[in-house]
Amino acid sequence: MFRFSKEQSIVNVAGVKIGGQCGQLPSVLCGTIFYQGQKIIADEERGIFDRTAAEKLVSRQAELSEETECPSVLHLYARSIAAFERYLDFAEQIWSGPFIIDSADAATRSAAALLVSENGLADKAIYNSISLATDEKEAQALAESEVDSAIILAYNPSQPGVDGSLAILEGGGSVCEKGLLTAAHEMGLRNLLIDPAVLPLGNGAGSALRFSVAAKARLGLPVGSGIHNAVSSWPWLRKKETMIRKGCDAAASAMQLLAAADFLLYGPIESAEIIFPAAALADILIAEAVRDLDIATSERHPIQRLV
Amino acid sequence: MSDESNSIKPGYEDPWPPVRGDYLVGTATCGVAVVTLASPIYPKGAAICGQCKTENLGVEKIVANVISNCNIRILILCGVESKGHLPGNTILALHRNGIDEQGRIIGSMGAIPFIQNLPAGAIERFQQQVQLVNCIGLEDIQQIEELIRRYDRYCQPYPSKPFQVIKRIVASRRISFGQGDISLGSRVVMDASAWIVTEEIAAKADAEG
Repeated sequence: MFRFSKEQSIVNVAGVKIGGQCGQLPSVLCGTIFYQGQKIIADEERGIFDRTAAEKLVSRQAELSEETECPSVLHLYARSIAAFERYLDFAEQIWSGPFIIDSADAATRSAAALLVSENGLADKAIYNSISLATDEKEAQALAESEVDSAIILAYNPSQPGVDGSLAILEGGGSVCEKGLLTAAHEMGLRNLLIDPAVLPLGNGAGSALRFSVAAKARLGLPVGSGIHNAVSSWPWLRKKETMIRKGCDAAASAMQLLAAADFLLYGPIESAEIIFPAAALADILIAEAVRDLDIATSERHPIQRLV
Repeated sequence: MSDESNSIKPGYEDPWPPVRGDYLVGTATCGVAVVTLASPIYPKGAAICGQCKTENLGVEKIVANVISNCNIRILILCGVESKGHLPGNTILALHRNGIDEQGRIIGSMGAIPFIQNLPAGAIERFQQQVQLVNCIGLEDIQQIEELIRRYDRYCQPYPSKPFQVIKRIVASRRISFGQGDISLGSRVVMDASAWIVTEEIAAKADAEG
């Protein structure tokens, strides 16, 4: 393990701290609920779902978070704003921590940012995400909202790899007029979390690991990824038994944490059962590895609780 | 007959398709391929049939697999569009307009519509080899299978060799060790950009001196 010479910033979203030197803070684990195809959803467009089953999933993530000391974030995915409204209403009643606003549809994301602002929940929201796909309309909506935390997606299809990902963040590369970091600041976003954008396995998924280290060294910002996408996009693995697939999911998560990630978008919230122990294990190993690098591990950390 | 001629079948080379993905392969000599977008449906009778949920890498895979089989002259787009990503709209735009200098698919309404792993020649070939049948929204398997049968009757192989997509070769560059911006302790540092681990220069000089 290692210590970055650049100061590593720590962001605080609704009491959850993300960032810092390797081994300083526990990994923040974000499980997705209401994702496309999730069995608990009856109508994705309207946001009709099995409330009891959803509560059970959220509670289990919270329990594992308490047990391991790895903080958690509720990642809300919605197909439409009508659906998001229902999901938010549900989350507000049973979840007090930070949550992620996410949708494949920009209009839904924008409307969600405005909705959480109206409901006084903007300080708990993390917008997913600012990317080269963010157009003026979405930027304007974000600027008008009170949301000040966002994930910045460093995906640069015109220049794949670590250099291209850094270029799109800093200067925009050849596809954006300005760097995404500058653009995010102009939208009023202050808590920035960097996501390398994990490509399918075989298309360059591995570069997310090197990018994570490079981005922290260069920018000093918190970094994390949806490394589970590399696992789920692997056709060979899909034919294997569930236990084998879960093993790979846990391994990928631990590898991303070892590559300096501060948070994980670990995918379906049902995976909490395997991800929390894997992340706690990685956190403990990393904390032990940096002990003589003058890095103080926080009082709330798996190493203080589980060993 | 030589070994080489044995390995070449009319219109495509084994193994076909060359790019892995979530699809079902039918009869490779059929003239029709089917993309069902976000709908998990698998009509039968086509050379290849599968979903496409993304407007960049997913589209690339389709192009690569289609142009590597000269028999495929018709690409049916059906199923429900993937919200936000709009791969169906993107395939139509790619076929109609191509890409710009940055690889952006001209006219696509998708979120990040870029081609990054195909040479320009592959796009031209895709435009010339296949015609698109826009049935976006159609999920009725029987109707789709009827379309496959109807179009396959009129298909003749594209009069050229299969186009095998070769990934762009990135020019190699000399990596030099810069300033160590990560410390691993014990006077070992790493340049995070180049991913090179070394002893600190001053420490090394002291040791040698």
